[in-house]
Amino acid sequence: MSFHIVVCGSLVPDPLQTLEPMQGPTGPALKNEMMLPAVLDPWAGHALFEAATLAANVPGSKVWLVSLGPKAKLQQLMMSIAQKVAFDLVAVDGPAGGFLDAFETAEALAGAIDGIAGLEKDKMLLFGGCASSSRDASVTMQLIGERLGITDQFLAVDELKPEADGSFQIMERIEAGEYLVSKCAGAPAMVGWATGNLPEPPNNPQVGMQNMRTVMPALQQAKPAQVGTGDVNFTKVEVPQQRRETKIVKDTPVEEIAADIVAWLKG
Amino acid sequence: MERQMMEVDIACVGFGPATAGFLHTLSKAIMNEDGTVALESRVMPGAPLQVMCYERADDISFGVSGVVTRGKALRESFPELNVSEIPTAAEVAHEEVLYLTDPDGASTRSTGVKMVDKVAGLLAKDNAFALPWIPPFLRKEPGMVFSMGQFCQWIGQQLMGSGLVQIWPGMPVDSPLIEDDKVVGIRLADQGVEKDGSPTPGYMPGMDLKAGLTVVGDGPVGAVGQKLDDHFGLPEGNHIDEWAAGMKAVVQLPGDTELKPGFVLHTFGYPEPEIFGYMYVLPDNVASLGIFVPSWLDNPIRSSFRMLQHWMQHPAVWKYLEGSTLKSWGAKSLQESGMRGEPKLVGDGFARVGEGSGTTNVLTGSGFDEAWATGVQLAEATIELLKEGKSFSQFHLEETYLKRRRSSWVEEEAQQAKKARDGFTRGLIPGLIGMGMTGMTKGKLNMPGTPRRPWDRVPSFADYFRGKLEAGEVKAIIDECKAKGQSMVDPLMDKMGWKPIPYDGQLLLLHQDALLLGGKVQAAHGFADHVRFADPEKCRACESQICISMCSGQAIAASEGGDVPNFDREKCVHCGICMWNCTVGRKGDEGRRSNIIFDAGSGGFHSAEN
Amino acid sequence: MEKVLFIAHTDADGNLPKAALETLTAAKATCGDLTVGLIGADVQAAADSIAECGAEAILGVSGDAFGASRYSTDAAAIEALVKQAAPEVVIAPNTARFARSMPGAAFRCGGKIDTHITGMFREGGKLEVQRWYYRQRMSATLSREARPWFLLLEGGLAEAFSGAGSAIVQTVDVAVDNVRTEVVGVQAPDSDAQTIRPEAEVLFVAGAGWMKKQADGEVKIKDAEEIILGFLDKTQASLGSTKSLVDQEAEGDVLNFMSHMNQVGQTGSTPRHNKGLATCCHGEEPHTVGWRFINERRAISLDANCGWAQGKADVLYIADAFEVMKKVNELL
Repeated sequence: MSFHIVVCGSLVPDPLQTLEPMQGPTGPALKNEMMLPAVLDPWAGHALFEAATLAANVPGSKVWLVSLGPKAKLQQLMMSIAQKVAFDLVAVDGPAGGFLDAFETAEALAGAIDGIAGLEKDKMLLFGGCASSSRDASVTMQLIGERLGITDQFLAVDELKPEADGSFQIMERIEAGEYLVSKCAGAPAMVGWATGNLPEPPNNPQVGMQNMRTVMPALQQAKPAQVGTGDVNFTKVEVPQQRRETKIVKDTPVEEIAADIVAWLKG
Repeated sequence: MERQMMEVDIACVGFGPATAGFLHTLSKAIMNEDGTVALESRVMPGAPLQVMCYERADDISFGVSGVVTRGKALRESFPELNVSEIPTAAEVAHEEVLYLTDPDGASTRSTGVKMVDKVAGLLAKDNAFALPWIPPFLRKEPGMVFSMGQFCQWIGQQLMGSGLVQIWPGMPVDSPLIEDDKVVGIRLADQGVEKDGSPTPGYMPGMDLKAGLTVVGDGPVGAVGQKLDDHFGLPEGNHIDEWAAGMKAVVQLPGDTELKPGFVLHTFGYPEPEIFGYMYVLPDNVASLGIFVPSWLDNPIRSSFRMLQHWMQHPAVWKYLEGSTLKSWGAKSLQESGMRGEPKLVGDGFARVGEGSGTTNVLTGSGFDEAWATGVQLAEATIELLKEGKSFSQFHLEETYLKRRRSSWVEEEAQQAKKARDGFTRGLIPGLIGMGMTGMTKGKLNMPGTPRRPWDRVPSFADYFRGKLEAGEVKAIIDECKAKGQSMVDPLMDKMGWKPIPYDGQLLLLHQDALLLGGKVQAAHGFADHVRFADPEKCRACESQICISMCSGQAIAASEGGDVPNFDREKCVHCGICMWNCTVGRKGDEGRRSNIIFDAGSGGFHSAEN
Repeated sequence: MEKVLFIAHTDADGNLPKAALETLTAAKATCGDLTVGLIGADVQAAADSIAECGAEAILGVSGDAFGASRYSTDAAAIEALVKQAAPEVVIAPNTARFARSMPGAAFRCGGKIDTHITGMFREGGKLEVQRWYYRQRMSATLSREARPWFLLLEGGLAEAFSGAGSAIVQTVDVAVDNVRTEVVGVQAPDSDAQTIRPEAEVLFVAGAGWMKKQADGEVKIKDAEEIILGFLDKTQASLGSTKSLVDQEAEGDVLNFMSHMNQVGQTGSTPRHNKGLATCCHGEEPHTVGWRFINERRAISLDANCGWAQGKADVLYIADAFEVMKKVNELL
């Protein structure tokens, strides 16, 4: 039993960047969004690395990466991730900001997945991050799953252990640092990954060369998608500015400081 | 694990303006208009030329510098260029050069400089004297200003979009592959290793890329360039003894700023007379600014970061900057020997382009355009050799690339500029007079001077502080800092009379915050430390440990008891300034390399605005 | 006002989780006619615990299949409850179980969903919610046209509802067929693993300074471990760390109980606690954005110029955290 693993993942601003919201023509957006360096959404990245490892361990499996984003930015993103693991890119040319409606994003992605030639739905594992780090909603993957008729779905997954019969065991993060352990009869299923357990793979130039043969044509063939803010009305988007009056305690004996802290903790 | 090997036609090291110029020109020639292959691969017959470029930074847009350039070569490559197509670019609209006097009285000023101060002071406004006339050799009009990072992103996207060349960021190149004095390719850095380079379970030896032509454009402190210099030596009479630390920032100017895009300001005279400053105003109320701290600033505690903060607060600069916010920050080494620092430009299987090949014009202070031009020249040569079926031998590269370079404006202007900075070896005033003489006579008359290696110049604490501070006072501070493992910069500068920095959390930031908010520095795991101390004993014996004071990112930090400094890869901005600031020559290699090994490494800035 | 369906699932004991009770209070405060929908193996006890909430009806989907957290059965149960109650707004707590199943159910009901809601209010009669984007770096206030509008609320928005009594539950039947996922159970974290504990009063953050050489030139990992674990043991505080500390962990020097799961900040988590104490940490912006939901903040640092002094903490103690925390542990 092999898997056809479809990973949904796109770009988010490099986490080290300073972000500032602004009002764009179709709703809120980030200032200089096209100029900001981007990275693969970290959770989607874990999903991709898990997919590649799973495909390597289950012979006959295959990995697609379905990405919705501005073509030029996707191309730049591919240069940093295509060296990591092997995949077939399916690119969808459209916006990738956090303020876009998850329903419209899911519709575009589900449409792109439907159009993948050679994808066998009964072998499909739909992978993605447990949330995008820009929208932060944990919604899109389930919506894609529903559109594709997948009724076994898992969120915040750290481990997927396949069995020889095609079934697999899943560990999902739940409250209080605990895991929910489930057994799924097999594909099709949706798996929204948390961090998983794999380190980021090193950059492998040969993998990069191999991927580039499909990445460039995929980018050239990327279909445009109309994705917007849907029926959402944003009243206000802001970066909260909280500046506190800081009391600085110095040249004070350790005992006094410790007593003050304890009083505060107990207060 | 076995080392992988891959064959390509052309391997490029580093993605900056020179390599960009090379790839831009080359990529246009690879395919015919009818879609057939014009330049066929030699390693994959039938396929188009296989061209790979490896860049250490994590993204192609993480270049560092505000650029002002006449853009002559760039316009030749883009005859229809509309400057506004380049993000953050603006046409140069107004230029000013200011001589800054010292409002605090803390800088070190020679008698000559003090006299200049007096004269300038009579006509000064905001402690600054505006030069009534800017000599033509310094003028950038007509020209353009932009951010290097955004330029690299703009051109890089076009290049990758062509599908004809591949640029891989996040991949440091360790060394050239040299066989019998012939460069046969490059070796990428090992991954899955400890800080000291020893393998971990995830060890992946750096791949060998065999290439007919290796294009070395890894800048002034690049590992491949250094190793080529070590192997082949510099041509007779050449040296790379002059450097500058460029510390830069990008700021959001206040909303009511009077500055318009294209405003170009250059300063000299403050915070130390030898330090040059610049501010270029880009669209959307953004300014790119910074200072250059040269290797001939004879000061054992030079800290570019603190100097930048003093420069920003100079009344003539602060009047523009008050109310600004830091958007981005960075630093780089500038090879200031110019043509004197030219290495072996071509050899069997390799050619060098850009700043690391000595293109910077030390008279006009121009580097971008020259770097781009040499990339274009090499591409034209490459196309010619490929079309004629010739090899990339030293002879053929001399006949094509070198010939083009030598007969170009880059060479002509560099020849004129060759001795322009010699006067600075004797002080600021002779230096300025020398530059004027060179500039006005197009290099026919020059102020003589003998360049000295940076580590021969840096004075001892005793010499530097003589007449400024009591020897006992200085020793007490140094001893305390060394014992506690703290940097000496702030205590000594405070003692010298430099005012403490009034941190505002917006523009005047702690060094650490500048790293995180502006530089956004990061390093990938699994690579070895790229800064190492060759002989730890020499570090322990080193009085100034200047590597700590001048480290742009506080990546080199003091150890308790004055022990060998610590290096933290997570903070390194890859400026390479440590390499040429170190005051100690390397054992067994005195006179050529300092005690600090600056090698290929991963990480650095995550800022696209620089 | 719009008709609201409040949905909750029971916990393993058949009770309603605290987050559900808080969400119920918030729902009552903001919305109109209320219907309650409960999901669980047996929902009677849960229904009784909120009998006085003033709901027009309490609907229940129950049975063994609904006792466990599973997408297919949960989504079917939510769908059935929504179809039965026909609400305009559906409000539920943002538990792991609903975070997974509610979006798909919203899709099946032809509705839209917003999650991680941190504020809910009426503006000119119109329902608006607040949620965060870009990993808690910017907040937005928004409304939607579409109905039913599903909202998953974060905990802590309101006091937990109390008003027990005797409730009548209207059973909603849901067919259970083709269940392909079997829930094996819950696995607790290793007893020595220290994690972010959402219920803790205090967040304790350890910075890279704990791994630095101390005054005598030695790195004191053992001491650091002892002090930190001692504090956690005494206070049951949640353990967070800076990126630079966990990065050092990856490089080899280890505090055994610490991993990237503990990282707080721009590239880590943004926990919610009433109090936060930072130690040996520089208080740089990328770290302190993770403190967005920490009400009272104190820090111990050797550096009087550190970021905490720049308006990020309420109190900054300039002192050696090793010594202070040792003393704090003694006093505790």
